[in-house]
Amino acid sequence: MAEEQKEAKPKKRMTATKAAASIGPMVKEFITGTLQAKAEGKYKVAYTFIVCHHEEIFRALDVIPVWTENFAGICGAKRDAERFLQRAESLGFSRSLCTYALCGIGFDQWREELGQMPPEAPWGGQVRPDFMISSGQILCDPRSKWYQASQQFMPDVPIYNIDLPYPLFQENRDHREVLGYYHQYIVKQLRGLVAFLEEQTKKKMDYDRLRELVNLSDRTWNLIDETYKLRRAAPCPMGTGDAMNTMVPINFMMATQKAYDFFVDLKKELEEKIARGEGEVENEKYRLMWGGGLPAWYALNDFNYFNSKGASFPVETTYRMVAPLNEMDLPETKDPIEHLAWRWLGYWTFWYDKAKKRPGSEPDVERLINWIEEYKIDGVVMHEAFSCRTWHVGLIWQLHQLAKIYKPIPVYMIGKGGQKEKVYRELPSLILESDIIDITSYSEVDTRNKIDAFVETLESIQSNRAT
Amino acid sequence: MGDKQSHIFDTVKNYYNNYGLRAKELKGEGKQFIGYVCSLVPLEIITASGCTPFRVRGSVHEPITRGDTLLETIVCPYYRSVFDLSVKGKYNFLSGLVIPHGCDSMVRSFSAWSYGLPFSYFHFVNIPSVCDESSLEFFDAELDAFRKSLEKFTGKAITEEHLRQAIRVHNENRDKVRALYEMRKADPPLISGTELTMTLTAGSSLPIEESNGLFDQILTEVKGRGKSPLKKGPRIFIDGACLDNIELIKLVEELGGNVVADTICNGARDHFPKTEMGGDPISALSRRYLGKINCPKTYRENKAGTFEGDIASRFGDIGAYTKEYKVEGAILYVYKYCDPFGFEVPARKAYYQSLNIPLLPLEDVYSSGTIGQLRTRVQAFLEMIG
Repeated sequence: MAEEQKEAKPKKRMTATKAAASIGPMVKEFITGTLQAKAEGKYKVAYTFIVCHHEEIFRALDVIPVWTENFAGICGAKRDAERFLQRAESLGFSRSLCTYALCGIGFDQWREELGQMPPEAPWGGQVRPDFMISSGQILCDPRSKWYQASQQFMPDVPIYNIDLPYPLFQENRDHREVLGYYHQYIVKQLRGLVAFLEEQTKKKMDYDRLRELVNLSDRTWNLIDETYKLRRAAPCPMGTGDAMNTMVPINFMMATQKAYDFFVDLKKELEEKIARGEGEVENEKYRLMWGGGLPAWYALNDFNYFNSKGASFPVETTYRMVAPLNEMDLPETKDPIEHLAWRWLGYWTFWYDKAKKRPGSEPDVERLINWIEEYKIDGVVMHEAFSCRTWHVGLIWQLHQLAKIYKPIPVYMIGKGGQKEKVYRELPSLILESDIIDITSYSEVDTRNKIDAFVETLESIQSNRAT
Repeated sequence: MGDKQSHIFDTVKNYYNNYGLRAKELKGEGKQFIGYVCSLVPLEIITASGCTPFRVRGSVHEPITRGDTLLETIVCPYYRSVFDLSVKGKYNFLSGLVIPHGCDSMVRSFSAWSYGLPFSYFHFVNIPSVCDESSLEFFDAELDAFRKSLEKFTGKAITEEHLRQAIRVHNENRDKVRALYEMRKADPPLISGTELTMTLTAGSSLPIEESNGLFDQILTEVKGRGKSPLKKGPRIFIDGACLDNIELIKLVEELGGNVVADTICNGARDHFPKTEMGGDPISALSRRYLGKINCPKTYRENKAGTFEGDIASRFGDIGAYTKEYKVEGAILYVYKYCDPFGFEVPARKAYYQSLNIPLLPLEDVYSSGTIGQLRTRVQAFLEMIG
């Protein structure tokens, strides 16, 4: 079995904020914490996935979530995923499948075979779970297949699969017509999760505690929104490179005071940087949006490369898994489970009404358009990770729709004074191609050549505008 | 082959090669065809609306070109091909298209379809990922919403009686397919896998009554055959997703194998499960499409608590078919980038091992360009088990 060869350690990415720099140790502490919790046997640990709006339920019942996508990402960032991917391949899984899942399955199978952690497991390794909570959402097939596949090596570890659909955007339909039965279903699914966890932990849900945790999450959501909106400032005080660190409290630590406090500190730090006029890059020339795709975790240094060309990333769609709750018009309820279900639906349908008002728009496209305008974006960068259909299919089409609005020719718009104004709305885009953790798909030279060419395009557009 | 027999198979071949021929003719007469992708679209509701369901297919012979300008190449090649043909206008005679939540690619590309194709009706059917009482209740409501959207499109009410009638005629179709599969039990089979796949593919482009008529004629012809069109050879089972082109099956049979059964979407997966008659028709449909269609996309709980028990439950239909059709070897044919099937490959391998059935797992890209490679592998496999 192929294994053991690790890639050279990558150069550490420079962060723009102290908050982002504090994330690495935080994640390490979290991983070692799960190992310790398991060893002490005080708490149950469960494999699970991010963006399921179930953290509050976990924490109210003192279940420790083990975010398996996170561990795979760590293996990728440490350039130590290949040996686990190869192991999964040798078991019969195709490399074309989700490499997060392959890495996790390869790791689990190895740990089960050895009866202990594989040699030099990143940060001590991924703990054996007491149970696994998968989710069959409207998207991400691997979420309901990954743990099922892992059960081949851990047949004694039970799975509970929750279904969390949302109504897909359909141009000719008001999604409110169907929200009622979607909500009822999600509530039932979440209540099923509560019952499963109660059985596993032998505890009863404390609904007052759950309500407090939901409230804490809600406040964190709004705080994150406020914090990230500060990045509209020019120069931009924090870029997407840092946001790939600060996604950790958003996605892995929700419903904890620590996550809330993290964003209190980050907000303060950004406000101070803005007051000092301090940007992510010293001389900000271009403002780019990370418009889609999970990052290549082993190549986060590419953000520094963009920075070296004067390009900053004030906004990204990836991992910004919150939206302002005060703009959602969620029905009032005292039942925290019902609220979680409404919040889930509110998040996924957040852009629907706006999209309907703009011909040719669609929720993902509408979000891009809004943020292009709000964050004064000069260009869009996307990443196509070959192994993930969930977050990457549809990106080309979104750029195609955007190109209908942002044309490479001057267009006339009605300005504030009611006068016709000639404006250039050209918006170049760049699609980078590799993978989330499979480093064999990545070429630093090719990637940087593409970035150079893109920056030249941005420069030429700026020169033309000036002319 | 007698004259009459070759005549009916010529008709099938014509419908297969000129896919959509009959739909174009009937469109001229005012009939509306609604395209669908995947086995999870409840066809009975389309039929009950007065429209005709039409299975949109790809082509292994046509290079994917325009489709790739709008849809990522990390989508499974089968779906890419279907999309490519659609954006090139091959199915412009359709009035609408229904896409279910069959996989991530279907979900994520829905806008690319609905904004890019010139149809007046589009609908997305959300299929639950689990199968329990609450998901069936949800699915009832989702199918009712589908019914209402078709009512809005056609301007006509879809009554329970319309639905019952549609269920009846689709069940008849499934009975006829079962009868055709019975012809495969002879050794060698009275109908080849190539003929059967071509027939079922042609049938999915016709109004259900015409499809029933066609299958009746094929049945009569095959029953009247004195001998098999195939020489006796290893009895092969094809396991996988949608195989709407005959090339793989034809290859197996050219190399001496007899393809006798399958789980493929346009084969047993689509046609074997029937809808219960009586009771609420929408509810009966949700139970068929969610509960009975054995697609890896739907998570089935491991009730046994063991891996062996789990695979016996999830893949039990394979075990039953292989026994019923006296299978001697199986080919697991999976498309590259197909997550639902791809994650099941090791478990399926283990299951075939438990049945003592030799297995050839293939990952392919839905292109005639790989036939040469497949030929070598299939030949070696048949020699091994032969």
